[in-house]
Amino acid sequence: MSDNEIKIVSFLCNWCSYGAADLAGVSRMEYPADIRVIRIPCTGRMSPKFVLSAFREGADAVWVSG
Amino acid sequence: MPLKYVINPDVCLKLQKDKCGTCADVCPANAIDYTQTEETITLNAGSIVFSPGFKPFDPSRFDNYQYANYPNVVTSMEFERLLSASGPTHGHVMTMPKLPMKPKKKADKALAEKRKDPKKIAWFQCVGSRDMNKCDNAYCSSVCCMYAVKEAIIAKEHDPELEPYIFFMDMRTPGKEFEKYYQNAKEKHGINFVRARVHSVTEDRDTHDLNIRYADEMGQIVDDSFDMVVLSVGLEIPQETRDMAEKLGIDITDHGFCKTDSFEPVTSSRDGVYVSGVFNNPKDIPESVLDASAAASAAGDFLADVRGTMTKAEEKIEETNVIGDPPKIGVFVCDCGSNIAGVVDCPSLTEYAKELPYVEFATETLYACAQDTQDKMVETIKEKGLNRIVVAACTPKTHEPLFQESMVNAGLNKYLFEMTNIRNHNSWVHKNNPEIATEKAKDLVRMAVAKAALAQPLAEEKINVNDTVMVVGGGLAGLTAAKSLATQGYDTHIVEKKDVLGGEALKLYKTAQGEDVGEKMAALVADIEANEKITVHTNTTLEGVEGFVGNFKSKLVSGGNETELEHGVAVLATGAKCSEPTEYCFGDDDRIIKTLDLDKMLKEQDAKLDSVKTAVFIQCVGSREPNRPYCSRVCCTHSIDNAIELKKRNPETDVFILYRDIRTYGERELLYKEARELGVIFIRYEVDRKPEVKVEKDAVKITLIDHVLNQPVEIEADLLTLAAAIEPRKDERLANFFKVPLNDEGFFVEKHAKLGPAEFATDGVFVAGSGHYPKPVNEAATQGRAAASRALTLLAKKDSLFTSGTIATVDQEKCSQCGVCVSICPYNAPGFAADGRFAGTAEINPVLCKGCGLCVASCRSGALHLRGFDTNQIFSQIFALGEVV
Amino acid sequence: MGNLLEHMGIEKDRVHFSWISSAEATKFVDVVKEISDKVKALGPNKKFVKDYS
Repeated sequence: MSDNEIKIVSFLCNWCSYGAADLAGVSRMEYPADIRVIRIPCTGRMSPKFVLSAFREGADAVWVSG
Repeated sequence: MPLKYVINPDVCLKLQKDKCGTCADVCPANAIDYTQTEETITLNAGSIVFSPGFKPFDPSRFDNYQYANYPNVVTSMEFERLLSASGPTHGHVMTMPKLPMKPKKKADKALAEKRKDPKKIAWFQCVGSRDMNKCDNAYCSSVCCMYAVKEAIIAKEHDPELEPYIFFMDMRTPGKEFEKYYQNAKEKHGINFVRARVHSVTEDRDTHDLNIRYADEMGQIVDDSFDMVVLSVGLEIPQETRDMAEKLGIDITDHGFCKTDSFEPVTSSRDGVYVSGVFNNPKDIPESVLDASAAASAAGDFLADVRGTMTKAEEKIEETNVIGDPPKIGVFVCDCGSNIAGVVDCPSLTEYAKELPYVEFATETLYACAQDTQDKMVETIKEKGLNRIVVAACTPKTHEPLFQESMVNAGLNKYLFEMTNIRNHNSWVHKNNPEIATEKAKDLVRMAVAKAALAQPLAEEKINVNDTVMVVGGGLAGLTAAKSLATQGYDTHIVEKKDVLGGEALKLYKTAQGEDVGEKMAALVADIEANEKITVHTNTTLEGVEGFVGNFKSKLVSGGNETELEHGVAVLATGAKCSEPTEYCFGDDDRIIKTLDLDKMLKEQDAKLDSVKTAVFIQCVGSREPNRPYCSRVCCTHSIDNAIELKKRNPETDVFILYRDIRTYGERELLYKEARELGVIFIRYEVDRKPEVKVEKDAVKITLIDHVLNQPVEIEADLLTLAAAIEPRKDERLANFFKVPLNDEGFFVEKHAKLGPAEFATDGVFVAGSGHYPKPVNEAATQGRAAASRALTLLAKKDSLFTSGTIATVDQEKCSQCGVCVSICPYNAPGFAADGRFAGTAEINPVLCKGCGLCVASCRSGALHLRGFDTNQIFSQIFALGEVV
Repeated sequence: MGNLLEHMGIEKDRVHFSWISSAEATKFVDVVKEISDKVKALGPNKKFVKDYS
């Protein structure tokens, strides 16, 4: 894996940020392809375990967005 | 009409000259059919709801604003598009927005070079509204003040250096939370408000900046220059709508709006035809939504007798039991025409999917959502014995239900489905990096497959709905709601603490349209009392409520007797009341009265009115003040109405209205016009220079500074009417019973300010009337009907109401009874089991659980699980990502 | 959370929390770009990764 390629594990709230990501697509905006989205029903679902596990599995960053 | 492309036959070469035909060649879905022609379809309908909407006023006919000629004069609708993230500039405000973004013509190119970020923008209010000189629209369009303030704030947030100016006549922000928004615009956002009508606009030929000229409040001529002018255009009923109304045989006003009765505000002059939206008078979003719900209730009332006579039962397909079977996953990769396949290498993605663990079958489809693909999907599931499905396509937010329906048709539980978004989150946003996008798509599919492998069939539990309704409050809104619910066949109980029905409306004299309120209310109450489906509980209070949607138990107390009422839904219509003024010498003299006292005198034809030589009205008494920062909405129209009544009784009476802004929205503006024509004198005052009132023996003396003359004016009145603020009942106990919120002032907070104006966030509880916000007769009746309509929607689903499958569950063996979930849940879904083997441990009420997962994350014992988003499923996605690193 | 991870040797810029409404597509893109830039500056994460070999 090259230094430029990174992976950001992104936990997005179904009602907020996931919708924003959909809209960004509909609006044909462009952004870096580093994020991998995991849809969660609400940021309340988040647990520190998920963040730690993501790093353990080799994520370069974790993003949680409500 | 689905949201699809159509061919314009007037310009299509194929249809006109039988040439071209390119679209049929390129359309991968073979959707083009040139042989289609116009068809006349006859539908037999029992009721019609007519909602033709409006047209924004076209300002090209005004020569003084030069909209058609100056590139920097735009309409508010055009400006709205500029602010939009999906607009032509992606939300970036720039001058000359009417030119193409990338102009091709030489002249346009030269102009576009002068484009800049505007630093000073002016909004002109009332363009095409409240104007009898340049157009015939005498009415107020109701929405422009608010949208101009909103546009100014958004533009200013976008560029803090921007100086926005709004030129207006009266600032009309009488809606819920609107007055605070306006005050914030002035005080916090630095929007400049100038009370003036701009006379003309000229253009600097070189820079295309705009020079404007207007007379300020003192009558001084002011010249100023702006980068851009936004015309706040009004709402207009186009000719074709008037023609259509004539065809339908319904009466319209001179301005083309539908004529309706204040007590049946969505019923046209013709039985069976109901109206909603701006065609039924200018209105904003929440009011249009209320109108729409109300029209649905009225259309349903009319058809109550034949309800359910033409329905067909759906065929039910047995669900295959997959528990214990190893996962056999089917992956469907969608090309979405070229939307996905144009970027992502779909064939290689499909091949990749085939190699993933548990994947039995993978295929590429042109459009996964097309009906033929869906049919094929059902066939494949059956043929290959698939038991989990992954679709890699667009967003589950719009398409998940469609695919889940196919799952059900194939006999699979709908929660055995997983969708991953390789369009909105991938092909559309990485279109210049096809290789990376394909890699990302593979990651996403791998994650989805890993999650799907762990999917379990989930049960949706049936919610039992008691179809009895309780309406709290026997005022106009509550009675209107009860009448509609009972007409449509539901047992309805009205709980009223007073001994009579009718509420505050009984104190009113006439509506703004001149209907006698007393007579109409008496007829409504008689209807209610004669209705067998309605039980009226007067002198009764509500002392407790238990339960949830479909299963409420309320404790009613009347004269010391307690009864229990079981009901499925509740409508809260508790109303508001008139406040007691604390200023202007109220209470010191019987010549100083409140608006409702004057209504009483008019109702009773009080002889004292004959001796009134000078009558004065003071507006905003207790409204739009720091301790009551809202506008009471009804007072301007009410005072003007009463002023007209006094003038008509005796034209010799001098009548003065002292006001801050006149807020006669919609066609109420015509009353304002009539009052001025009858000689009612309007004098504006500033909130920091309020009128002073002194009680003397011969007269009540009122002194104020005239805003035109800037001189003190003294009026000797023998009747002073105070437009006292309307106050909510602020019933915190009731709010608590149903777990519904109150705002800072004590009005109920609806589910959604725009889209859910007659219901609460709590399922099964609805709101109507002035307890939500002060409103006149027609709006209270509309909201009463709207609340009934929303309740009916729920009651009609009685037999098909299920909980969601994706909710929290408890592994009671592991539960340590710590109670964190019980205290943390915003919806009160977890509780402690009362009896049984696991008494004391947590249990989740599936009806109340919204599936947010807060309790699951907070559970220290690992006893809570969120179905559909369980911990192992989220881990599986993380692990799937880790596999390739 | 951020502090704990920093304590463990994971740089602060590797964990982000944000709030974006479903209408704020522009903000979404801005946040993605910001995070991506910050993480690229740090390079790939080597710490704490499970060793599969």
